[in-house]
Amino acid sequence: MLIFFSKEKTDLPEHYSDLFEVCHFSDFSDWEKNRTIPSAFIIAGKDRQYISSVLAKIRRDDEVFASLCFALDPVAPFDSLLLDGQLPQPPALREAVNQVEDLLKSLKSNETYITHQGRLIKYLWLRPDFILQPHHEWQYPRFYRYPLLEALSQDSSDSFEWLRNLANNKIIEALTMVDRQRECTYCRSAHLSFIDVCPNCLSIDIKLQASLHCFTCGCVDVQDRFMHSGTIVCPKCHTHLRHIGSDYDRPIENYRCQSCSQSFVEGDVQVRCAMCENEMKPGDLVLNEVHSWRLSDKGRTIAFRGEVFDLSSGFDQLDFISRELFIHDLDWMMVTSQRYPNMQFSLFGIYFANLPDLAELFNHARLLQMLESFAQRLRSLLRTPDLSTRTSENMLWLLLPNTDEQGLNGFQKRIESSMKVLLEESEHKLDFRFIGISSRQISGKENAQLLLARLAGELL
Amino acid sequence: MESLHQIWSFFLVATSRYQDLHYVFMLIPFVLFFELPLYFLNWMSVFRYLFRKSVKAPESFPYHPKVTCAITCYAEGMAVQSTVISLLEQVYPGHIEIIAMVDGVQKNLATYQALKELAPLVANYTKRSLIIIPKIQRGGRVSSLNAGLNRAHGEIFFALDGDTSFDNQMVSAAAAHFRNPDIVAVTGPMRVRNARSTLITRLQSLEYMLTMQIGKLGFAKLNVINNVPGAFGIFRKSFIQKIGGWNTGTAEDLDLTLRIKQYYSRYPHLRIEFEPGAVSHTDAPESLRDFLKQRLRWDGDLWYIYSNKHKYGISAAMMGWGNFIFLLWYGILFQIVMPFSIVIYTVYMAVKLPFHTFLLSMLLVYLFYFSLIMLQYIFYLALVSDRKWEDCEAALILPVYPLFQFISRIWSTVAILNQILNKGHLDSAMAPLWVLKKGKQ
Repeated sequence: MLIFFSKEKTDLPEHYSDLFEVCHFSDFSDWEKNRTIPSAFIIAGKDRQYISSVLAKIRRDDEVFASLCFALDPVAPFDSLLLDGQLPQPPALREAVNQVEDLLKSLKSNETYITHQGRLIKYLWLRPDFILQPHHEWQYPRFYRYPLLEALSQDSSDSFEWLRNLANNKIIEALTMVDRQRECTYCRSAHLSFIDVCPNCLSIDIKLQASLHCFTCGCVDVQDRFMHSGTIVCPKCHTHLRHIGSDYDRPIENYRCQSCSQSFVEGDVQVRCAMCENEMKPGDLVLNEVHSWRLSDKGRTIAFRGEVFDLSSGFDQLDFISRELFIHDLDWMMVTSQRYPNMQFSLFGIYFANLPDLAELFNHARLLQMLESFAQRLRSLLRTPDLSTRTSENMLWLLLPNTDEQGLNGFQKRIESSMKVLLEESEHKLDFRFIGISSRQISGKENAQLLLARLAGELL
Repeated sequence: MESLHQIWSFFLVATSRYQDLHYVFMLIPFVLFFELPLYFLNWMSVFRYLFRKSVKAPESFPYHPKVTCAITCYAEGMAVQSTVISLLEQVYPGHIEIIAMVDGVQKNLATYQALKELAPLVANYTKRSLIIIPKIQRGGRVSSLNAGLNRAHGEIFFALDGDTSFDNQMVSAAAAHFRNPDIVAVTGPMRVRNARSTLITRLQSLEYMLTMQIGKLGFAKLNVINNVPGAFGIFRKSFIQKIGGWNTGTAEDLDLTLRIKQYYSRYPHLRIEFEPGAVSHTDAPESLRDFLKQRLRWDGDLWYIYSNKHKYGISAAMMGWGNFIFLLWYGILFQIVMPFSIVIYTVYMAVKLPFHTFLLSMLLVYLFYFSLIMLQYIFYLALVSDRKWEDCEAALILPVYPLFQFISRIWSTVAILNQILNKGHLDSAMAPLWVLKKGKQ
């Protein structure tokens, strides 16, 4: 099936409907009502803004982000990096759809694709020759952006930071270097201006001046002081300077500061950031190498074996339930405890603040091992009816029914002692935070989603 | 009258007593008639110039036309850079267009590269521009100069050599003369840049001082200058274009000078000037072998030009009586006949006279020339030299100089004979043979 987005009433040419079932939608929200998953999306329209917004919504969607997307009309360069190109002829389209379906079958299906990294792997897996290209945009502070990464991460993180992690984990590999640029130390903007200033007083009021150097007495001065009615005469020793190279020459000192009168060969260079207006030295600038990327062998292995070297996989033993279910159950518990005050429960959150940094610090496998042993200990602490989930790769939530404040405190102490082992293993570099709340402390006005958001906010 | 007669009798008695001296005195009229008047005339002219200059108020006019400096380059290599830089550095408020013609560029890539390196430097100078003309087919100096003349935009055309550099007032001093519409060409003193290298260059340096800085100055003021040198000639472009530029064949500089002079009887107001303030510095051959090779061509070319190319041009009807007489005297007699007479005379004395008499007469000749040179040198140093301290060094080689002169005179004979018998003008480094053959044979 093809989903055809177009504001206008126009339809796909007929020979497409011979091969495919075509559904026409004028807007993404229309499609969202029943969310039928198509083989490919096709977007048409003279309005580039429209194409852009639909495309962005598809790539940011949790479900269809990796679907084939074609355009009928020319699109903006930024959007072309999110598209699979212009709509091919039906046979070629069929071939492309079949290929994606085959690849989809060989893709290990598990829930890892809810993470940004998992999404990227899936996207790249379905497109074997895909090259992740940066897009140059002069208005953008860092000049280069990766539209696909922005869409797949749902704009939640800096693409370059994410790329660095991906490359460190060897999930993607650099293909060609597109650019090497220097960026502001403070805000990482590449909009910099370079000004040469006086090395003595740092004034920008410097001027190039023609100077002469008399060989007879060594006098160096501004050329004007040597000029005497059409001849060059040294102002100090009054020698008539006739021939360059034998009587005089041009010294290298060529600049003069207008505010402190210093003469110098080369000014100091100051860098001023156009975005944050901070000043710095050229040597302090951050070097950023911009590459085009592709999925590495390791990334492909992850895709078909499911061995996601996602750090959160260390917690797999905890038998997470899905976030939606957790929220649903929490809501039910909250409502129940409001109604029956003796029905008490507690909510406990564990936040690992610096997992990505640790992954760089330690060997990846070792960290995974550490987390796994922690998860094992944590699991032994949990009772059968306790529920667990995670809302992001480093945020775990535990729902402990029939646990009052006292029980929560006891639980926290046990967790802390088990955490000590993990802390020692990580050479005290692991940054983790706990938050616990019992049903008594929860006001009746909140719902589960708000509560989780509030507690997560307190942890950050 | 009586006393004069007594002196004469005493002189006769003295000569009859010392028989040998009689032969020695044969030399004196020879020198007196040939050489001394020329020196005398020259000095008088220089004195007149110096006197006029000292009493005249210095004047400067706001006349700064656009000028073109055409540099003929061949295998100068990096040396060409100092030529161009010395032109960029000129203290001249007008525009200086520098055209560098690299002849046979495929062979002389180093020269071409050296010029190209300078291109970014030119932007630092206001009113200076550099055009590089790479000539793939080697055509010689004449073809380079004419190519430059075709491309020139300046009113005044400076024909310069790639191994010659200039004082920073050269352009302004030379250009000032062209305010006078009668001036068609200007030249200036050439100094030897590598004077300190060898004895040969020191001797040539002294020769340049005496013949260029005094000799040319004096003759120019009489408007009978013998030659506007190829390495440093400055011309009114419109005039040089009108007479057809440079002509093929060797010694194109002397050829051009004679062709300009041949307009003199029809346009008697025309003048070739010598500007002492327009100083150029050139490299002289460092070894005796190279020096002799250079002179073989220069002196041989004189014969080629006078006897062949300008056989019918040397006439009072064409160049006026003044220049005609000067040319006969200086050009023909002094430069062509005298070397032969010196050789013949010396050989005659060596054979005819007893050895000690021969030696004595040679010593006398030496002393005569030494005193003459000494006088001229002191005169030069005191009144003309623009770099007195530097020129003092030449005093050390004054005693050797007459010998050097003697050798170069004898070598002139060889050169002229080589030209007459061997067509030496076809053996020139200035142009390829096929080009030289196109000239009048």
